[in-house]
Amino acid sequence: MTAVTEGFTTAPRAASARAAARRGRWGIVVIVLIAVLVAVVVATTRAPDSTPMSTTGTTPAGARAVAQVLRDQGVDVRQVAWLADARIASPETTTLVLVDPSTLGPAQVASIARYPGDVVLLGSVGSVAPALGLAVEDVPVPVAGLARPACADPDAQAAGQVRVQGWGLRAVDDAAVDDAPLTCFALADGAAAFARAEADGRTVTAIASADLVTNGELDQLGHAALALRTLGRHPQVVWYLGDIFDDTTLTTGDSGAAAIEARPDFLPPGTGSALYALALAVGVVALWRGRRFGALVREPLPVVVRASEATRGRARLYRSIGARGRATAALRGTAALRMGRRLGVARGSGRDALVAAIHRATGRPAGEVAALLYGPVPPTDAQMMTLVAQIDALEKEVHRP
Amino acid sequence: MYLTGWTALLAALGAVPAAALESRAAAWLWVLGTLALAGLDAWMAPSVRSLGVRREPPESVRLGESAASTLVAANLGRRTLRGAVRDAWPPSVGATQARHPVALGPGESVRLRTALRPTRRGDLTAGAVTVRLAGPLRLAGRQRSFAVPARVRVLPEFASRRHLPARLARLRELDGRSSVLLKGAGSEFDSMREYVPGDDVRTIDWRSTARRGDVIVRTYRPERDRRIVVVVDTSRLSATRVADAPRLDASIEAALLLSALAAHAGDRVQATAWDRVERARAAAPGTRIVHQLADAVAAVEPSLLEPDWPGLVRLLQGRVSQRSLVVLLTTVDTGAADSGLIDAVGALAARHLVLVASVEDPELASLERGRADADAHYEAGAAARASLEREAVAGMLRRLGAEVVLAGPDELAPAVADRYLALKTAGRL
Repeated sequence: MTAVTEGFTTAPRAASARAAARRGRWGIVVIVLIAVLVAVVVATTRAPDSTPMSTTGTTPAGARAVAQVLRDQGVDVRQVAWLADARIASPETTTLVLVDPSTLGPAQVASIARYPGDVVLLGSVGSVAPALGLAVEDVPVPVAGLARPACADPDAQAAGQVRVQGWGLRAVDDAAVDDAPLTCFALADGAAAFARAEADGRTVTAIASADLVTNGELDQLGHAALALRTLGRHPQVVWYLGDIFDDTTLTTGDSGAAAIEARPDFLPPGTGSALYALALAVGVVALWRGRRFGALVREPLPVVVRASEATRGRARLYRSIGARGRATAALRGTAALRMGRRLGVARGSGRDALVAAIHRATGRPAGEVAALLYGPVPPTDAQMMTLVAQIDALEKEVHRP
Repeated sequence: MYLTGWTALLAALGAVPAAALESRAAAWLWVLGTLALAGLDAWMAPSVRSLGVRREPPESVRLGESAASTLVAANLGRRTLRGAVRDAWPPSVGATQARHPVALGPGESVRLRTALRPTRRGDLTAGAVTVRLAGPLRLAGRQRSFAVPARVRVLPEFASRRHLPARLARLRELDGRSSVLLKGAGSEFDSMREYVPGDDVRTIDWRSTARRGDVIVRTYRPERDRRIVVVVDTSRLSATRVADAPRLDASIEAALLLSALAAHAGDRVQATAWDRVERARAAAPGTRIVHQLADAVAAVEPSLLEPDWPGLVRLLQGRVSQRSLVVLLTTVDTGAADSGLIDAVGALAARHLVLVASVEDPELASLERGRADADAHYEAGAAARASLEREAVAGMLRRLGAEVVLAGPDELAPAVADRYLALKTAGRL
């Protein structure tokens, strides 16, 4: 309902707008329900973590089981992806677990070497173990095998038997290290699954065959005993699962300054928050630009059909069945018509009259002209093209002034 | 409700407190606060009902020319209004600047002109008027669209009128008013005068010459007050496109040029657009027929129907009693022949002189000349077949005594006009 006041039209009353809203009420309700449903589903479902050795990973290569058992025993397990996020408050009550330490950079290794608390290395140790005072080196274990503890370590004794696979350890002579390391679970060729050394007042333990702490193998042999006794020495565990982009160094204490120092960042503080605010502003820009200034105006437009469509369709039919007869007959017919007009031959006067007239005009033998205009159907496309070219040439001669 | 760029800018300024506090919560608070402020601003904006609009569209505009549609906006409320008005038209009307900012005090009104440059013939209906009124903070405002009926009639382009001066000059030569002493061989006896060198010796009136002693010639003037009936075929074949425009448009151009020329020549023209029913009709004395015809056929669209030619014959029998020139602007091909065109022309030719004009497709000629590869030869064959069929139908029409004009879309109008002049010169009307 549009109101007209003194010749002017104004917008309809708001009541009708409310009625329109009422008409669209169910649509709004459905949209809101769907939005709530989607929000709930998104909030409650997480994509399963399939990262190997992750404390939230539920795949056989994950390490959720060991973390869960440790938590049940009152151990606080915290996983970090960046060394700078470790922020270990009390090293004396914390076990730092480094997964796959051979990927760490020199600066990171140095920062770990300065760390006073206990360290557990899972996987190939690289240069980290010697830096921490554990004089061992990696040896690949091509064929997995079972091994019993041949050492006095109580954790190893408690475990009994473990499987050595993937990587093993071998003690090396290192002048810089006082105590020879204790290696356990050695195979016949000397590759050991476990090594431990007390150095600088801390215990450094390496479990090269890291597979034994995974969900898939934790419940086999003595794996559980070895893993839990090694990892559960202190009430807190910081589980470092290195991100490949991580180049930060280890932090202790809960100081932001240390974190900033550990994670070199050339952007001023607050940049992230400012970018976040700008991203929200982009949403407002979308609201601003997305509101159309009135609806598009519909316009009924005629369909476009080209007049030559029918002829092109007929040409495709000719081509698909190779109708050279019909195609050449039509081309011969129009050429004859034009030449007859040019030479003044009446339409109904027959082919002989036309052939004779063309013969007189061009000097070409009458038989040749008749063969071109009234001859047999060319059997191939190539011969059809030749014939048409000859007819064109003849017509050009006729039309020559 | 709508937001302005100021709201977006204000929201972007939230980066400053967010950076200072290093807090995403601050960013959220700022943005939500901005939106709340915008909502408050929109709520405080004046009601859209306080702005009244009135549309004053142009009566008609010729295709290819510009016109302006006026929209009068008045403040009917007691508050000052700031905002914008959109005068929406369909795309083919060519309204490029349809948005107008307005600032009106109480009781004020303003005339907003929207330039129109239509690109399509026909009756074009305006879209809704959208009103935006900003709130006091300029952050947001109220927006509403409502229908304000308006229509503009876009007349045919009549591009063929550029051919008119040359044809009128030839008409004046026929009429004896031109300085060139070229008397037309029209049929009506005008007067007698003395022979001057250059006159056609066949016009010497020997009886008067013998009586007067001087050589006396008869002069003639072209026939006047002949009746011309222009029939524009709007059936399905007129919908097909030839060189980017429907055949119907070329037919309309030809009808307009012919009626302008014939009206100047003193003939009485009436026109009809026909498929199965009469779609438009024009009959006016003198040159007013041109404008009336343009107005009548402006909104005629091709209909996808077979033409009812016997019905047309009955219509003309009831409407035209004297012998006339019946100009059929249609399509000559086998389809038209099947629909009864030939019988209709035969029936009309018994009483009238019939001129059948058809828009030819230049693309067919280029197809017929195609020699690029085997496919092109098949296309050339198909085009040649179509051309032969057309020639056959045209030959049948000619044998029935009808005049046939086949020309491309741009050449049809002058070709029909020339044929009309030739018929007039020959005194066959």
